[in-house]
Amino acid sequence: MSVLTNENLTPQDILAKAQKLRPQLGDAFRDEIVTSLYGEAERIAQRAVHTTKDKRWDFDQRIDRIVTSPVWGLPIMLLLLAAVFWITIVGANIPSQMLATALFWLEDKASGLFTAWGIPWWITGFLWHGIYRGLAWVVSVMLPPMAIFFPLFTILEDLGYLPRVAFNLDFLFKKAGAHGKQALTMAMGFGCNAAGVVATRVIDSPRERLIAILTNNFVPCNGRFPTLIMLATVFVAASFSPVAASFVAAGSVLAVVLIGVFFTLLVSWVLSRTLLKGEASAFTLELPPYRRPNIGRIVYTSLIDRTIFVLWRAVLMAAPAGAVIWVLGNIYVNGNSLAIYIANFLNPFGVLLGLDGVILLAYIIAIPANEIVVPTMLMVYTGTGMMIDLPGLDGLRTLLIGQHGWTLLTAINLMLFSLLHNPCATTIATIYKETKSAKWATVSVIITLGLAFLVTFLTASFARLIGWA
Amino acid sequence: MSSNPCETCPANAQLAQMGLKIEKFDRIVALAGNPNTGKSTLFNTLTGLNQHTGNWPGKTVTRAEGGYEFNKIRYKLVDLPGTYSLLSASQDEEVARNFILFGQPDCVVVVTDATALERNLNLVLQVMEITDKVIVAVNLMDEARRKGLEVDVRSLSRDLGAPAIPITARNGEGVQTLLSTIEEVINGNIQTKPLRVSGTDQFRRSVEELSGMITALIPNIPNARWLAIRLLDGDARVEEALVNGELADLVMNQRQSDLRLSSKTALAGNQ
Amino acid sequence: MPDPIVLLLAAALLFALALLIFHPRKGIFIRLRAGRAAAQREKMEDILKFILDRQQEGRFTSNEALIDVLSIHPNELLRVRKTMEAQGLVRVEGGTLALTATGQQLALQIARAHRLWERYLATEARLPLQKIHREAHRMEHRISQSEVNALDAALGYPLFDPHGDPIPNRAGELPAKELGKPLTEWEAGTPGRIIQFEDEPPLAYEQILAEGLKLGQTLRVIEATPERYVLTDGENEYRLAPAVAANVFLVPSPKAAIHGGDVFPLASLDDDQPAEVVNIDESCQGFTRRRFLDLGLTPGTIIYPELNNFFGDPRAYRVRGTLIALRRDQAGMIQVRRLEPE
Repeated sequence: MSVLTNENLTPQDILAKAQKLRPQLGDAFRDEIVTSLYGEAERIAQRAVHTTKDKRWDFDQRIDRIVTSPVWGLPIMLLLLAAVFWITIVGANIPSQMLATALFWLEDKASGLFTAWGIPWWITGFLWHGIYRGLAWVVSVMLPPMAIFFPLFTILEDLGYLPRVAFNLDFLFKKAGAHGKQALTMAMGFGCNAAGVVATRVIDSPRERLIAILTNNFVPCNGRFPTLIMLATVFVAASFSPVAASFVAAGSVLAVVLIGVFFTLLVSWVLSRTLLKGEASAFTLELPPYRRPNIGRIVYTSLIDRTIFVLWRAVLMAAPAGAVIWVLGNIYVNGNSLAIYIANFLNPFGVLLGLDGVILLAYIIAIPANEIVVPTMLMVYTGTGMMIDLPGLDGLRTLLIGQHGWTLLTAINLMLFSLLHNPCATTIATIYKETKSAKWATVSVIITLGLAFLVTFLTASFARLIGWA
Repeated sequence: MSSNPCETCPANAQLAQMGLKIEKFDRIVALAGNPNTGKSTLFNTLTGLNQHTGNWPGKTVTRAEGGYEFNKIRYKLVDLPGTYSLLSASQDEEVARNFILFGQPDCVVVVTDATALERNLNLVLQVMEITDKVIVAVNLMDEARRKGLEVDVRSLSRDLGAPAIPITARNGEGVQTLLSTIEEVINGNIQTKPLRVSGTDQFRRSVEELSGMITALIPNIPNARWLAIRLLDGDARVEEALVNGELADLVMNQRQSDLRLSSKTALAGNQ
Repeated sequence: MPDPIVLLLAAALLFALALLIFHPRKGIFIRLRAGRAAAQREKMEDILKFILDRQQEGRFTSNEALIDVLSIHPNELLRVRKTMEAQGLVRVEGGTLALTATGQQLALQIARAHRLWERYLATEARLPLQKIHREAHRMEHRISQSEVNALDAALGYPLFDPHGDPIPNRAGELPAKELGKPLTEWEAGTPGRIIQFEDEPPLAYEQILAEGLKLGQTLRVIEATPERYVLTDGENEYRLAPAVAANVFLVPSPKAAIHGGDVFPLASLDDDQPAEVVNIDESCQGFTRRRFLDLGLTPGTIIYPELNNFFGDPRAYRVRGTLIALRRDQAGMIQVRRLEPE
């Protein structure tokens, strides 16, 4: 060893020395480090671990053979997803009705009381028919499905099923030039797209991470599920017998989700051939052993952390939205309310897409949070003079079909539009934060919105062409 | 299951979950480990927090922090992202590696999966290269029993030169012992002598030459060997820390805090 | 009297236009000027690199060669050459151009930036090899010295670029390089490891890549006729025209000689058939290689294809007690030997 003292040794000397030694070691020395580490680990583990039973195939492995099997893997996946939707739809139906009845009863009584006390009509209207009604709609439409869907999904997550889904679908992502873990980030997107965007950090390749970020919105998040469920139940499933209706509704929600997966793959494929050129990168996916989910903890966390959190956000957005709609609906110019003017202005474009002006207006008002689209829409419809006599889904049907001329095409296109349209403000902000680029945040909006317009326009034109609508 | 998952565990006597109240703490403990070994479950058990615990690799992308109090000493607990190794420069490995090296934890608990010990020990050996204050928590003992595996933790401790504690974070089994071991290791009552893995002759010679220079530059640096390997590998972050004096500062801080702690324990002994 | 609002709008528009053109940092004017300066610098750097390449091959560089290969207009070349002479980068010796010591150093630094970028694009960004040259050529002029050093460190100080060309280090020194023999002179039957591809002419290079040959791959020549060369890696056969084969350089591969014929890629292993890892292919470098090693795919490890899915890709392998899914092309980079089931 050379005699070196602190005075004449600098960090640079050490770096220079390392640089000199490095080529002598050759490229293989990293391999050797890891090989010797694992060799040591193997020796220690062999001394410390003893097998008492000889079970070559344990229970986990047998389950894995089934859920990833070439024959059963994909059907089981679809069946599980459908089951989650079905339980959500069936379970949420009655609580939703009850909540709606109770909350609107309160609105009636309270506004009646306000009127009786001689409080000016516009205060009563603004508070009760504006802000409160927005809240009531959000709570009754959103709370029950969320409170059921979140825990169910978390059980699948804690069980360790999601990596198996990624394993089953990886081939498609590879073909699309994307990362296999994109399936995991999509699964997170079911909960919340902003969370899905954050989850893309598991993807190492920057190119594939961007693809996953830009396409995450094609997974309908929890805020959009109630919209889909409501539409599926009210329109698509309505013509079936009550027994079959819930299955049809679950099936149509599943179909929408699959369309979302299709667009995810399509857009990923296009992106990896245009804006984000490149081959699928190497990746490794660990399939962790199954773990028994802790049901108590899941129910607690998904109710407190997730449901209440998302609901609170929706409530914060719904109250001002309710106020805005009430104001728009109650300022009259030349005999018509502002809401009517805007809706009429947007109507030609809306009709072109198989929707109408009110729906577009609702989407514009609901940009901060997708959750409030349906409540906003209903408030514009009802706020412009029509009150619903029957709360709940039957009331909705009467209102939309009977009074506003909705058709099956409107419902289907609204579902497609809801699936494809731009991410909510929170998600856009998250994309900006994660990519540190206004450009990619903008691109995410352009892609989704453009696709939403295009697809709804095409379906509407097609339906009109063959005489459906 | 109640909202408090640790009602039945014996640790409850001295353990107080402090959740996010971590402004004032005496010690820092880091939780490292492979993905899916139950780090977040242990973190939740100790802090009473509800760090989300999904069963898929990469779920904890950044580090989570929480606190607990044990025997009247307040600990800040840092849950690091799960990694197989600290050698390849992926984002999560950077986070974990940088915290163990620069975050100055008083003790690192490597949470391992009893059913896949061999794979997990690779990381343990790597962490032991960076720091002496290591405890191996052999988690998921219930799973191991279900699979008919017996883990001889004594043999493990002896071979590694660091304490190995069998636990089941899910139901609190062994957590009490783990906590007191953390205390003992930090106080120096348990001396660790971590195993160091050697490679080929030429590799060893190069490492010795380089680590000699590092020790000459920064006397008392505890992990010169590991740093030498990182420099040979061309680790940009370590190079930077060497040049800008960060490494030298670390050693200085460590010695000062050691002095502070020993005077504190001396005071406590007098009372 | 025009509407004041119209006036205000017009003024604002004029101001915006002026800003667009004359903004001190982002204006069109300044950008054009900076662009011209950058173009001139790029030309100079290209010339330096070209002379360096020629010099390393032991050839001189004439004005004609520059005009021809780099397609520079003669007048422009004259102007650029003058600037370079004035800066002491080149000297003119009887019709040929030679690098001064400063010029050589600068040329090496540009080659360093270029080859590091190629390495990055190939191993980390996984761009197809056909595309990396152009991209690296664009980047080599834009990257600063400290960025190059950071890139070098981040890549773990690689010695060679994806074509097998040596990468100069910070001081401009080139790593010692094994001298490969062209495939056309290689003895049939002896295993050899690909050490370098000549990437000029591009057409021949594209054919090499289209055949699927990779740097670091170990091959044997099984047929050598004036019409074609046939090679095998034990699994696949590769066919090359002799003119193309002359652009592939090999060195002896002792490892492969020991392995013999029973070593094959993991991707070809049957389901449920246990095997032992022999090594990770030399063509697999960078992040992927490190990830494989970290997962415990070290020589001697027992591996076992346990799960297969609907598409047949990826498969999940049991490695050291954990199930790890690998795509087919990745599993092709891991060499294994079959083990008898217990």
